[in-house]
Parts: sequence; structure tokens; C-alpha cells
Amino acid sequence: MDTVSPVKSLTRRISTIVAGAAGTVVLAGCAQNAPQDTWQPKGDNAQMISALDKIVFPIAGIVGVLVSVFAGYIFWRFRDKGQAIPAQSHGKPIVEIVLTIVPALILTVVGVFTWRTIMDLAETQDTEMIINVTGQQWWWEYDYPAQADQGITQPIITSGQLVIPEDTNVLLRETSRDVIHSFWIPALNGKKDAVPGRIHLLRMQADQPGIYAGQCTEFCGLSHANMRMEAIALSKEDFAKWVANQQKPYTAPAEGTLAKEGEGVFINQCVRCHQVNGIKDANGKAIISAPDENVYSGAAPNLTTLMTRNTFAGAMFDMVNQKCRADVWDAKTEEFGAKYLKGVTEECLNEKTLRAWLRNAPAMKPMYADPAKLEKTNGLYRGMPNLGLTEDDIDKLVAYLLTLK
Amino acid sequence: MITPGSKYFLGLTGLGLVSAVLYCFLVNPSDLGAYALFGLFISAALIAGFSIFTRDGDVATAAEAVEANTEATAPSFWPIIFALGGALTLLGVATNEIVFVLGLSVLVGGAVEWVIDDWAEKASADSEFNAFVRHRAIGAFDYPGIAAVVLGFIAFLFSRIMLTVSKDEASIIFIVVSAVIFAAGFVLAAKPALRGKTTAIISVVGALVLLVAGVASALSGERKELVKYAKEDVYSVANRGCGKEEGKYYDHEANGSVSLRSGVIATVFVEDGKIRAQEIGIKKDVETITIPRSNSTSILFRNLDAEEYRLVATLGKVKVGTTDVMEEVGTCTQLTGKNEEQVLTVTIPKPSSPEEPFKLTVPGATGEIKVVVP
Repeated sequence: MDTVSPVKSLTRRISTIVAGAAGTVVLAGCAQNAPQDTWQPKGDNAQMISALDKIVFPIAGIVGVLVSVFAGYIFWRFRDKGQAIPAQSHGKPIVEIVLTIVPALILTVVGVFTWRTIMDLAETQDTEMIINVTGQQWWWEYDYPAQADQGITQPIITSGQLVIPEDTNVLLRETSRDVIHSFWIPALNGKKDAVPGRIHLLRMQADQPGIYAGQCTEFCGLSHANMRMEAIALSKEDFAKWVANQQKPYTAPAEGTLAKEGEGVFINQCVRCHQVNGIKDANGKAIISAPDENVYSGAAPNLTTLMTRNTFAGAMFDMVNQKCRADVWDAKTEEFGAKYLKGVTEECLNEKTLRAWLRNAPAMKPMYADPAKLEKTNGLYRGMPNLGLTEDDIDKLVAYLLTLK
Repeated sequence: MITPGSKYFLGLTGLGLVSAVLYCFLVNPSDLGAYALFGLFISAALIAGFSIFTRDGDVATAAEAVEANTEATAPSFWPIIFALGGALTLLGVATNEIVFVLGLSVLVGGAVEWVIDDWAEKASADSEFNAFVRHRAIGAFDYPGIAAVVLGFIAFLFSRIMLTVSKDEASIIFIVVSAVIFAAGFVLAAKPALRGKTTAIISVVGALVLLVAGVASALSGERKELVKYAKEDVYSVANRGCGKEEGKYYDHEANGSVSLRSGVIATVFVEDGKIRAQEIGIKKDVETITIPRSNSTSILFRNLDAEEYRLVATLGKVKVGTTDVMEEVGTCTQLTGKNEEQVLTVTIPKPSSPEEPFKLTVPGATGEIKVVVP
């Protein structure tokens, strides 16, 4: 009976695993439902990068294959078989000249196309709209300065979902409040670091309405992987409706309702960090949150129109349930705006996750929220702490939050 | 075999450990004394280990130690450097990171040199050959290493002198020193015969002058303005004159040398006595600038007029103490001359009120720019 040596058996097993893993990676490249695929550009800027890729990748691929094959051949052909060392000679001018000129030419071609794309992507003269994008652990804030051309008469502040009008050259002015983050919506442009104390510019333009997913791409701490974002492109008419809704004054819940009680819980517990524009205390005085006194980054998401967003907690969780989410994500282009602008209804609310978040946020998302370990930040939280809310409080809060539309 | 020397260090190790534990319990575990005693314990344990391993240097009892080298080895100072590095590292852990990094560098450098020394001494029975292989192995790193340490000392001593003398004196020192270096270089180039001795004399005299001047400067402390900078909060409103007067504690030469272009959200100009602003990404002049809440934001001020102006940011009002009196909160740049620029960096923790936004003004010029913090 033939026996296989243990070494051969192990080698065969490792080869199978490596081949399987490589095959999986190759097959993953064929995925169609890949919202963060850089090869599916949905805007002019991403298209520029994709066009550059189509030039650079084949050249790099051919060079890579040629070099690998040639090196492999040399290793195999001249392997040590106990032969005598051949006569040694120094250089061959013609080979050296060719091997200098050819790479130089290739790099020149790649360099010219790359330089042109970089310059085009840095262009800001055609800007039609600006948005300030501020990163902090572990969510993105978007504030829209007043811009009469876009119907924005007073600043708008939101988070998690960046809403832009379709086919409009938007200029993002990126910065950070704590550590370096990186903003990346692959379908709309390349990535750009958000650095504290600096303002970096990133063009953004979407060809058609839809949701475009993104991800922070600079390691920024414990929940870096959970720092997501979505860009929402709306038709110009729908964007105007969104703007109007964001700018409308605050309406307090009716007296005697559960939501009104929830407003009280919000004022007692949440307003320390979270701002709701227009909310007032019992004396009718406007309440201003103080995240700078409680959070390391000095900011917490503004919740004035929380239920117009489909995500929360740095876009980590869906605010709507699976059915409603699919309804918006899979909507036809012409229906997308209306479905998105519906916001979060009582039927669509992902109540289970929202309640779990309110019950114990650090259990849902890794954050530096243990009061006993905050000496380094002088007692300030990185992320949302466990507020110790009762189930009764959570009932009231959910009812109140649902009114923030 | 545990030799008498090893026993001594083992005893010291035990004493160090017991003392450190008692200190932690009786005094304070985070006190410098605890670090020192633990340092003693670790150092003694290390030496005891070496002593046991080398049988207290009694090579006659170590058959393997006489494999190749029958000559007595030359005394080495690297163990002392290594021990100094260890002490500095421990001291650095307890004091500050510069000492720690310095100690770690000395520790690693000393260890590498010591190991190479040890290896070279056993390379053969020929001490000349051993010296040669040692040089081949590490000679290329010795001089740059020594040069880095010497340059570090020179830079440190020179910086002490520069922090002590006034700006005018510093200019004179630079002129004199560069003239001396130039003259010495000229003389040495013209008279090659002088090189050896003269270079040595100049180096020794220069080093002594630098050492004495550096130590004297460090002892006499930094010049007055720098001490003021350190003691006074120049950013507090109380210390800032935001009117037409000249401020005292600013580097006036900073004008015209701003290099923060990529961190500036907006530029405010004064031109023909009027104020106007441009925001990044907006092609036309703006009347309102929007800046993020709780984030440091820089605004560039550029004066295009002949008269000196400063930019003043008014950031709302706060109550004075427990009274009902409201006082304006603000900050400003230094007076800025024609075609000069300065950056005003502000961090505003509260949103602006829609009825009364924050504002940027320039005393003496007309107009204002609203600042909105959402």
C-alpha cells in the first residue's frame, strides 16, 4: 500500500488552502452588489480615477507579470546544481541602456496621465456648493453654510448621511476634531484625509440619485471599522425639499403625549451633548448643549432632524428595518428621492437596535466610555457612554426621537 | 558555581527587592523612590546574572572561555556605558520621555558595542587581527554615532545660548562665529602645515567656549520675553489689546511669514478702508463665514492698505462672575502692515445665536463679516 509522507501531506494541504483562499479573493472581485467598489464609478471624479486606472493598471500588470516570469525563470534556470561558478563579467551596456530607457518611458507615460488626473481632481473653480465635513471618533458631521444659490438660507447641520444634489459640483472642506480620519465614498471620488487643524478639499459629484456607501480609511482608534458614511444624491427638486425640511423650525411634541415626556428625558439626559435646534426649557429659554464639556472631540451629533436619516451611530446601524432599507436602497432612480425623503416612520423604525443603543451604547459599538479609564482625556468620553436609562425612559425617548423629522 | 562576587550581587538583588516592596506598601508605589529601588533590584539582578554566567570573571574555571583567545583582553568601557544607559532608561521612565529615549539609545548602543567587543576578542589568538575584525564589523557606525552625540551636545548648548541672549546679540554671535570659522578655514587651507595642531587647538578652545557659555546661559535662564510668554496666557482676553495700540508680547516679524494656507477656512481683506472676505471654495466675496463648532479654525487676515490694521473676532457675550453684567468675548491679531498677513485661530464651543451671530471687524475700517457656528 502506498503511503504519503507527512511532509508531502502537509505541503498538499497548505497548497489547497492557499489555492482556495486565492480563488475566493479572485471570485470576490466579480461581486456585483459591492457598494464600495472602486471599479463602479458613479460620478465625474470617480470616473476620472477609473479612467486613469484603465491606463495604469494594464501597464503595471504587464510589467509585473513580465518581471515575475523573468525572475522566476532566472531563479529556476540558474539554480545551484553543484556546477562551477561561471566566469564573472561586469555589465552589458546595451542591456543597461534599454533597461533604463524603457522604464523611464513607461513612467513618463504613467506620470503624464496621473499628473493630469491629479490636477483635474484638485480643481475648485467649478464649485457649485460647499459642505464642511468634520470627522471625529467615530462619526462624520456635515454642515452646510448658507448658500443662497442652493436655497440654503441658514446653516444646516447633520451627520452620518451626506446629502447632495445630483449632477452638482460639491466641494467638501474636510477637517477633524481629534485624530486623523479619511473620507472615502469610492463611487464618487478617491479618499482624502481629514486632519485636525487643516482643511482639505475634496470634490464630490453624483451622476444620479441614489445611496453611495463609504468608510473611514485612516485608522482612527477603537471603532475605526465602524466609522461609516453614506452619500445621498437627490434630484435638485428633492434636494430643495430636503433643505426646506432641514431649515424648518422646531416643533415641540404636544402636551400630554409620550413624546412630550420623552422630550423631558432628552433635556435631562441627552442635551448635555446632543443639540436639537430650537428646543427650550420650562422657562422658554433656548437650550444649548455642551459637548465640549463632556466629549473629547468637543462634539456630538446634532439630532434636530434625526429621523430624516436612515442610519445612526456613525452610520453603523440602520435606523430603518431591513424591509424599509431595501425599499430605499433598491428604489428606481426616479422613485428614490420620494422614498428617502419619507424619512423614518413608526412602521419602518429599527426599534430593537435603537433601543439597544439607548440602553447601553458602548455595548453596541466599541468606545472609550468607561468612566474609570478616562484619566488621559481629563474625564471626557470618546463616544457615547452608558446613560443608565430605565426601560420607561427609553419608551419615552423613542417616542420623542420619532418626532425629530 | 556561585562565586563570592555573585553572592554579593545576589544579596543586593534581594535587598533591593525587599526595600522596593516595603517602600510601595509603606510610602507610595508611584513615588520616584519606588522606581529607584526597583531600578536597584533590576540592576543588581542583571549584574548578578552576568556574574554567575561568567563565574565572576574567573576564566580558569570556565573551560569554554579559553577556546581561542589566550591573551588577556583589553579593558572596555562599554559595560559602564551600558549600565549608564540602563540607569538613564529607568530614570526616564520615572521622569520624562527625553531621558528615557536617551537612556534607551545609550543602552542599545552600549549593548551592541559590548557584544561586538566580546565577539572580536574571541575571533582569534591574534589581538591585532581581533582589533581589525572589530573595526570591520562596527567601525562604520562608531564615527557617525560619536558625531551624532557631539552634534547633539553642540546643538543643545548653542540653543541654550540663543535662548538667553537678545536678538541683536544673537545676530552678532552668528556674525562673529561664522567669521572665525571662515578665517580659520582660510588659514588652514593656505597653510597645510598648520592643520594638525591648529585644528586641535581651535577645536578644544571652541568646545570649551561653547561648554562654558552654554552652561552659563542655562544657569542664567531664558531671556525676559520668553519667560513672559511662558508665564502669561497671551491668548486670554485680559492680555490682549484689541484696539489701536501696539501689543507687547508678539513676534512682530511674524507678519508676512504665514504658511498655513491649507488650514485656513477664509481670508479677510482690508482694502481701501473696507473689510471683505473670501471663503475657500466660493468664488465671490462672502458676508458670512460658517465655521464648525468646537474645532480650532484659522482665518487669514491680509491688509492691503498702507495703514496698520488688526482683525478682531467678537464671539458673543458672557456674564462677568456672578453679576448680571455681560462682557464681550473676543480675540484679535496683532497690528498688521501693508501687504502683510496674520492668522487668527479661534475655537468656539457654542453655536451662534441666529439673532446675534458672532462677527469679525477691523477697527478703523468699515464693514463686518458675520461668523455663524451651527
